Amino acid sequence: MDVSDLKKNIKLLIDGQPWVVTEFQFVKPGKGQGLYKCKIKNMLSGSVIDRTWRSGEKLEAANVESRTMQYLYNDGTQYTFMDNLNYEQVEIQTDIIGDDRNFLMDNLEVEVLFFNNRAVGVTVPSHVVMTVTECEPGIKGDTATGATKGATVETGYSLQVPLFIKEGEKLKIDTRTGAYIERVNE
Amino acid sequence: MADHRLAVWDAALDAVRSYLRGAGLLEVSTPFIVPAVAVEPFIEPVVVGAGADRHFVITSPELAMKRLVCRHHHDVFQIAHVRRAGERSDRHREEFHLVEWYRVGATLGTLQADVAALCRRVAAAVAGVQGRTTPPEPRWETHRFFDLLETTTGVDLRGADDPGTLLQSLRSAAGLSGDTVAAADLGVSQLARWTECFSLWSDQHLDAWLRDRPGVAVHLEAFPPALAALAQVDRRAAPAFAHRFESHLGGIEVANGYLELRDAEEQRRRFERVNALRERHGLETLPLDEAFLADLEHPGLPSCVGVALGLDRLVMLAAGAHRLDDIDPLG
Repeated sequence: MDVSDLKKNIKLLIDGQPWVVTEFQFVKPGKGQGLYKCKIKNMLSGSVIDRTWRSGEKLEAANVESRTMQYLYNDGTQYTFMDNLNYEQVEIQTDIIGDDRNFLMDNLEVEVLFFNNRAVGVTVPSHVVMTVTECEPGIKGDTATGATKGATVETGYSLQVPLFIKEGEKLKIDTRTGAYIERVNE
Repeated sequence: MADHRLAVWDAALDAVRSYLRGAGLLEVSTPFIVPAVAVEPFIEPVVVGAGADRHFVITSPELAMKRLVCRHHHDVFQIAHVRRAGERSDRHREEFHLVEWYRVGATLGTLQADVAALCRRVAAAVAGVQGRTTPPEPRWETHRFFDLLETTTGVDLRGADDPGTLLQSLRSAAGLSGDTVAAADLGVSQLARWTECFSLWSDQHLDAWLRDRPGVAVHLEAFPPALAALAQVDRRAAPAFAHRFESHLGGIEVANGYLELRDAEEQRRRFERVNALRERHGLETLPLDEAFLADLEHPGLPSCVGVALGLDRLVMLAAGAHRLDDIDPLG
């Protein structure tokens, strides 16, 4: 690929790693060499760097694809997801899932990142709604104090919740911080 | 807010025609799709057709207009649609308008005065239709390339064959590594290195220097010989320099002018050198405009100066906009 193909969101292969262009600025004197000044983000590590290319340079496209898949189950070391379009199943190791395993509810839809046809990352929705499976009894009326207690939700994940929360209730949880957002009434 | 974009373009086009006609130039109209364009290191023409029918959309009307001057010895101007592939930003569009004009027997100083006057006339006309008072005219200054290079970087490259350590430090500052183009031919290598140096210097130093001087517009003249393009080079001067200037208004490049090269053999050599550079960069080599080279040989080009001005950018500045898209009536 030629540098003139550079634009936002294009996926590049640099030193064997996949990077995505997040910012892009083209600078060129009328009769001069064009400069492509970019910010690029490593799709595996998330780190962002500045990078400039010149007219005439060549680039390699990264073989990267994002597919929507549904979480099915896990056996402790591997998590299995299914593509709803073609029913293909994919196993992904625990270490790639990381802390997001706390939010993998049955049939949750996630984005799976494939690099060279291997799953390398999973993105869960920014929040999920899960049921409380275990906690101490709720204290009626105590909504004013900031005091919290421990609760466990359906994936086995534990978090701090307000004192009025009872077993069986549904909670909205922020997957980026792991924190309680609010109770969901249905 | 009222949309004045149609009236703005009408006023700008009228101001251009009125100024240049008033100065005695004839308006001409030359082909849009041609068998060959001027060969430049990093200007990409759009290709039309294939094989024996392979043609190009003009990247500037320069070659045809110089042929007119060869044959008719008259001052001429054109408002041309041109296209340069792969150039897109807030200040670049692939297709844009160049106002290009030639004056027989004149000096670059006359063209520089033309550029300043044209900018003033267009600014006044555009402000008029927008119902604004004409903004104050910038103070136009003329600076020689090597002087400004030294002022901004501390490096003196007068008489230097190669940009040397300055290119190295500009590359480091941009996080770029060394020569991407290995060239056995010294002329090709020098062209590549000066071109890259100029681009990096413009981005890292010239733009900031201009930004620090709001209210000042600049004609940058006496370019390094390697960057002469289609201009004459004065090799007897110390240091040698190219009779070329670039005008910068509102911090952006708006015009590029030459004391036109008249030597057909030298012109052919330069086109071939540029093609060699393009080949090393993996860019397509381009056919030479033999009809132009033939006219340059005979009847020959009288001593003349020529300049191309980016009308879209001038209209953008005059209208107080920041992106070319903002002044597009279809935008």
